Amino acid sequence: MRTQVPLLEIKNLHVQFKVFEGVLKVLNGVNIVIREKEKVGLVGETGCGKTTTIKSVLRILPSPQAKITGGQIFYRGRDILTMQPREIPGLRRGELSAIFQDPLASLNPVFTVGQQLGDILKHSMKHQGVKGISKKEIRSKAADLLRETGMPDPERILKTYPVQLSGGMRQRVCISEALRATVKLLLADEPTTNLDVTIQDQILRRLDDLVEERGTSILLISHSLGIVRDLTERVYIMYAGTIVETTRTRRLFENPLHPYTKALLKTIPKLTGKGLSEGIRGRIPNYLNPPQGCRFHPRCDSAMNICRKENPPGFSAGNDHVAACWLFRG
Amino acid sequence: MPKNEIAASAFTAKRINISKGWYKFSRNPLSVLGLTVLIIIVLAAVLAPYITPYPEHAGPYTNFRESSLPPSLKHFFGTDTVGRDVFSRVIFGYRFSLLLAAVVITLSVPPGILLGLVAGYTRRKWLEVGIMRITDIFLAVPPLVLALAVTAMLSPKLLNQMMAISLMWWPWYCRLVYSVTSSLRHEYFVHDAELTGVGRGFILTRAILPNCVGPILTKITLDMGFVIILGASLSFIGLGVQPPKPGLGTMVADGAKRLPAEWWMAVFPALAIMLVILSFNLIGDGLRDMFAVEEI
Amino acid sequence: MLKYIGLRLIHSLFVLFGLSILIFFIARIMPGDPARVALGPLATEEQVQKLREEMHLDKPFPVQYYFWLRSVLHGDLGKSLYTKRPIIKDLNEYLPATLELVFTSFLISLVFGQVSGVLSGYFKNTWFDGLSRLVAYIGVATPSFAVAIFLLLIFSHILGFIPAVGRISIIMKPPPRVTGFLILDGMIAGQFKVALNGLKHIILPAFSLAVAHIAQEGRVTRSSIVDNMQKDYVAAHIVHGIPTKSVIFKYLLKPSLIPTVSIMGLDFAFIIANAFLVELVFMWPGFARYAVTVMLNKDLNAIVAVVLIIGAVFAVVNLIVDIVVSFLDPRIRLQRRGG
Repeated sequence: MRTQVPLLEIKNLHVQFKVFEGVLKVLNGVNIVIREKEKVGLVGETGCGKTTTIKSVLRILPSPQAKITGGQIFYRGRDILTMQPREIPGLRRGELSAIFQDPLASLNPVFTVGQQLGDILKHSMKHQGVKGISKKEIRSKAADLLRETGMPDPERILKTYPVQLSGGMRQRVCISEALRATVKLLLADEPTTNLDVTIQDQILRRLDDLVEERGTSILLISHSLGIVRDLTERVYIMYAGTIVETTRTRRLFENPLHPYTKALLKTIPKLTGKGLSEGIRGRIPNYLNPPQGCRFHPRCDSAMNICRKENPPGFSAGNDHVAACWLFRG
Repeated sequence: MPKNEIAASAFTAKRINISKGWYKFSRNPLSVLGLTVLIIIVLAAVLAPYITPYPEHAGPYTNFRESSLPPSLKHFFGTDTVGRDVFSRVIFGYRFSLLLAAVVITLSVPPGILLGLVAGYTRRKWLEVGIMRITDIFLAVPPLVLALAVTAMLSPKLLNQMMAISLMWWPWYCRLVYSVTSSLRHEYFVHDAELTGVGRGFILTRAILPNCVGPILTKITLDMGFVIILGASLSFIGLGVQPPKPGLGTMVADGAKRLPAEWWMAVFPALAIMLVILSFNLIGDGLRDMFAVEEI
Repeated sequence: MLKYIGLRLIHSLFVLFGLSILIFFIARIMPGDPARVALGPLATEEQVQKLREEMHLDKPFPVQYYFWLRSVLHGDLGKSLYTKRPIIKDLNEYLPATLELVFTSFLISLVFGQVSGVLSGYFKNTWFDGLSRLVAYIGVATPSFAVAIFLLLIFSHILGFIPAVGRISIIMKPPPRVTGFLILDGMIAGQFKVALNGLKHIILPAFSLAVAHIAQEGRVTRSSIVDNMQKDYVAAHIVHGIPTKSVIFKYLLKPSLIPTVSIMGLDFAFIIANAFLVELVFMWPGFARYAVTVMLNKDLNAIVAVVLIIGAVFAVVNLIVDIVVSFLDPRIRLQRRGG
């Protein structure tokens, strides 16, 4: 059915951070595939390595602390990690883009929205070979982009500085910056975490519509299963630097396999009014000395002997459903 | 638990972990070098009467037969116009410089911290504004100018120089502590401490002050250097250590008159000033890195 | 914006007013009788007493201050006890030379400091960064009078190609005074030889004053560039495909200049203060030498005037710096306006 080369394929990615206490083994074999026009979610607790994963793809890990110690990241079949440094900007100006968690921090405080957005558009258009674009054209294109994200009065917004905008408006600006016409893959890192719930919803809908219209693939990172359920087709569950389960989103909610996924699903507050949801006992492990074997076993109710010794590979449960848990061996 | 302990346990005040601190400090080899040099200088200054080749040259000694000799093994830094060993005088000169810095810091830091804490924490707007405006007035003229004016009016000697510089120096600490305090004023751990009902003094000393320790220590180290420069500058003009006592600035000023032929009389004391300031600055940089919050 | 400037102006005036009280008070509680200083040890007690009355020294402190302030507001800073001339006249003669020196040095430190800071921030941890760091450490640790002596020694005595001291060669005739800045006046009068001669004289003292500030401004710019490099917005600019050059020299440079510009007022103050020392070394016929002379002679009237004048210059510079910073940083500008 789907035989073409995936848009993005992360294979067995390992990333380490060097700190005073020692070496943090943050990513421990991450595998993610995103196909064209696909909407994929990546879910996990805060600190499980979601942001590190997309920073690796974008090649903006903080150096020299962070180091990719293994794995490949293929974009349309070419390994981003072995690309020449001068090839990367072309990728960024063209098909690859991202939205970050904190919209205020990701906008330059001393330039107007128009200056920043216009510059991004200018370089993106130059990259496509469009020549001799006037400032006026860029301005009107920038205003169009803002309008598409549902921003009121875009011409005026172009003249403002980020501090003058509300959180929601800032994130709309960031979405405009990221969603240029040529973008094929958007990495969205918790784009609405810092916003009010009502605005969150508006912005996510808008983002979803735009992605749909343009046929852009999206990797939506979130710690909230609710958001992922509404907006994605397939989902990856991440725990402590590894992917523990992946399947179609609907199937995940109907038939979760991995104990961690099950526990995570139980944390969604129910509307039936049976009090607060249960949490997951224990806490995310220390990356300095991660547990032997499966990293989840100290918190797992169904842990077996083998779980304490060996890290489980992904076991297929059919239908694109994979779970990295010894319970599903053979 | 008594309420003081509850309050104390609520604080997220940074505790200084000595071994971790030393690790961070020692990662910077220049800072370690600075510390080593400073220790040597301090030891040499303290032990000056016992280790200098000619301790009696630190006073009204003359020996015109040996005057204006260039540097040699007998006189490392040469001799001055009346035949005194410049090396011995430089080591004794460090005594005055270090004493000045120590006295100024001791006199100006505590009132600065106190006023900064009060201004940053008080709920009385007039008190906050009042204290900060007074610091503005003191900082409205470069410290050298005001110190120069005050020392000159009093009469030029080391003691007056110390008093004058101390008078100019406290506002810097007041500002520093004020800015930390007023930014912490509305942090949760301060509110938590207030809710437990402990006294204001307790909150200031246990919740807020520990957060000022890093910036204050760093500033003190860097300021030791500044104060020494200031003192040397005043002495250079003639408003500091009075001859025949060996002040480093005074020695440079006297030596400058003998340039270029008898260059050693000015150059070595000048280099000595640079060396001690350099080592304080290197240590200060190491401390700043030590107290900085590291990003991973 | 106007409101902001207005508020800053009021603040400066308040500070100057406070400073005048402070320095006047210090001058009056000091041991020593200004009237006696003015007349010298040979004057009789009656003469001194008479002068005391003329100078209102027999009245209580607030009354003295009132009389003094009244005449200052009329543009009269009093009479120097040492030169026996109106202080205004002395200032008029000496201040331009100092300002010329200080401004030149300020300009030098600005240009060299920024360039070295930007380069070492950009080429972080390379040989250039290492070298500029070393130079910065030494620069900050060297008192300006020591720099002056080293430069004097190296250039005029060992290499011998720059005239050593003073503001202009003795054989030259100074140009007609317009601005009081010798080099500018020389150019205005079309006497380029004079201007060039003045330039030659000013280079060494100006550099002596600038060295520490080149070092300091360079380090501040460097560290703010290095700090800002880690900011999310820089990552965002990079991710959105803005070329490295434009990220560095546009998006990174502008926010990084704010801290450097903010400390320039302080730098200026230190340059003025150090001019006191450097002018002595280079025999620069400026205000600082005048100030040191009156201070050493306990000329209380002149001391008060000198301190106030420096406070005023400093206040003006700070005002300008604040305005520039608020133009660079919309956060300050907008906060002040919107409240």
